[in-house]
Amino acid sequence: MIELLNVPSLLTVQDSGRRGYRKLGVPVSGFMDDYSARIANYLVGNPGDAPLLEFLLAGPTIRFNASCVFAVAGDVEVKLNGAPIEPWMSHWAKRGDVLEVGTLESGLYGYIAFAGGIKCEPLLGNCSTYPRAGLGRPLKAGDNLNLGYVVLTGKDGRYLPPELRPDYSSKEKTVCVVLGPNIDHFTEEGIETFLSESYTVTSESDRMGYRLDGKAIEHSERGADIVTEPLLPGTVQVPASGKPIVMMRDAQTTGGYAKIAVVAAADLPIVAQSRPGERLRFRAISVDEARELLIRREKTLMATKDFLDGKMRAYRIMAGGEELIAFTKVERRG
Amino acid sequence: MDFKPLGDSALLISFGEFIDEATNDRVHALLRAIEKANFEWLVEVVPAYSSLVVVYDSMLIDLEGVKRAIGELEFSAERFKGRLVEIPVVYGGEYGPDIGFVAEHNGLSIDDVIEIHSKPTYRVFFLGFLPGFAYLGGMDERIAAPRLEKPRLKVPAGSVGIAGKQTGIYPLESPGGWRLIGRTPLRLFNPGKEPPTLLRPGDRVKFVPIDESEFRELYGAEWGEEDD
Repeated sequence: MIELLNVPSLLTVQDSGRRGYRKLGVPVSGFMDDYSARIANYLVGNPGDAPLLEFLLAGPTIRFNASCVFAVAGDVEVKLNGAPIEPWMSHWAKRGDVLEVGTLESGLYGYIAFAGGIKCEPLLGNCSTYPRAGLGRPLKAGDNLNLGYVVLTGKDGRYLPPELRPDYSSKEKTVCVVLGPNIDHFTEEGIETFLSESYTVTSESDRMGYRLDGKAIEHSERGADIVTEPLLPGTVQVPASGKPIVMMRDAQTTGGYAKIAVVAAADLPIVAQSRPGERLRFRAISVDEARELLIRREKTLMATKDFLDGKMRAYRIMAGGEELIAFTKVERRG
Repeated sequence: MDFKPLGDSALLISFGEFIDEATNDRVHALLRAIEKANFEWLVEVVPAYSSLVVVYDSMLIDLEGVKRAIGELEFSAERFKGRLVEIPVVYGGEYGPDIGFVAEHNGLSIDDVIEIHSKPTYRVFFLGFLPGFAYLGGMDERIAAPRLEKPRLKVPAGSVGIAGKQTGIYPLESPGGWRLIGRTPLRLFNPGKEPPTLLRPGDRVKFVPIDESEFRELYGAEWGEEDD
């Protein structure tokens, strides 16, 4: 069991999100940055979708009331019993140890995973928190959480080198999008504006959606409103103001504003990790290219998991003038 | 049927831009056919008025594959017979503080509003906006009313409201700008139940006027606590 001693910011239990309830109006929810969250889980030997803690900007202070193995994913200072320890690495904690997670240097969401995962009673088949509908609630100081039982041996000391970590430090990030489906609600100039300008993330941004500020996107004579259609996380809606809104994990399931584009699933964590005041640029790619990005990302994640499990080695190589990380299988001898 | 990609993991299928029962029947017929086909790549299907979105696992299939599989499905656009769900409502008073406004706005008595509102059978076109919120069709325009100029910060769960030519029920306590005319003791969204929503796409809804003592009795049975 772990006890939350201090919770300075939004802290929730999340996993990979709810499937199958969107037609009843229930949002997907789940990890805002599924890339970092899955790596946090792999660091402690969990399946990628195990329930863990997601914090916004500043992490909690936690007391362990039983031994466990944990890892923190994020660009953040971490202390165990007052002594600095590495993030992106799994560590043993003994009964009575205190973990302090600081404030993220870059990015907006950080993750704390525990070997065995956080034990929770699934609601609608899942542990993702969506407080608005009574599906869990934000955590507060004094809350106790149970962890799942697993063999802990061999799950500590796993380390992800900086080269393999996602980097969210840039103040202007480029995000790939697939244009459509309501593209006929925009003028050519409006689409050009969307793809050439940079847009600033505003403070009116949360797990439901990120409102962006920048040059207004021009609608065609068809206007900003459509007959309400389903939408998904990543959908970019443009209301009459011309300022785009990127729908995020807690987004409502349907919407009545014209959709100019959808963020490539592989790039949605980049949006999630952009802070208010930071800028986004959008680059249009085809559906097949977006899918290719996702497949490549999945391969990288699987290789990262094998690397953390000791089944692969990683090498830094130069290819076509670009620095890349290559993975090779560890050969087992005799 | 018009196919458009919605990003790299979903397909938007549209039957045009209509809000009518015949079009919505086709949406639900196709939705049932897709769910029944039980494709291994299918994540879920989300319907709206005249469109639906098919969410797929793009690790298993590409857009062309999804289009082809759905294009080959046979489905008949027969009238979708959902369940008939009766929703008891206590109209007016503290439960429906705006019913007087709705009456006055339309030159009717409060009893007229109750009669006109509880007479039709409404169709659940789809659920969205909030978990369990039903987009209902079929309200009589004689009781239409504009939204509040300043939305309430807190509308109790179960509140029945009117906004323009629409009527609806708030499934959860939330802010809201609809004119409140009554409240149902039934729980429209219960995360502990499977399925969690009282209403489902395609259902038909009939509002049944009840009095305050019936409300209290039903409320206790449904929520397991006293309303205060």
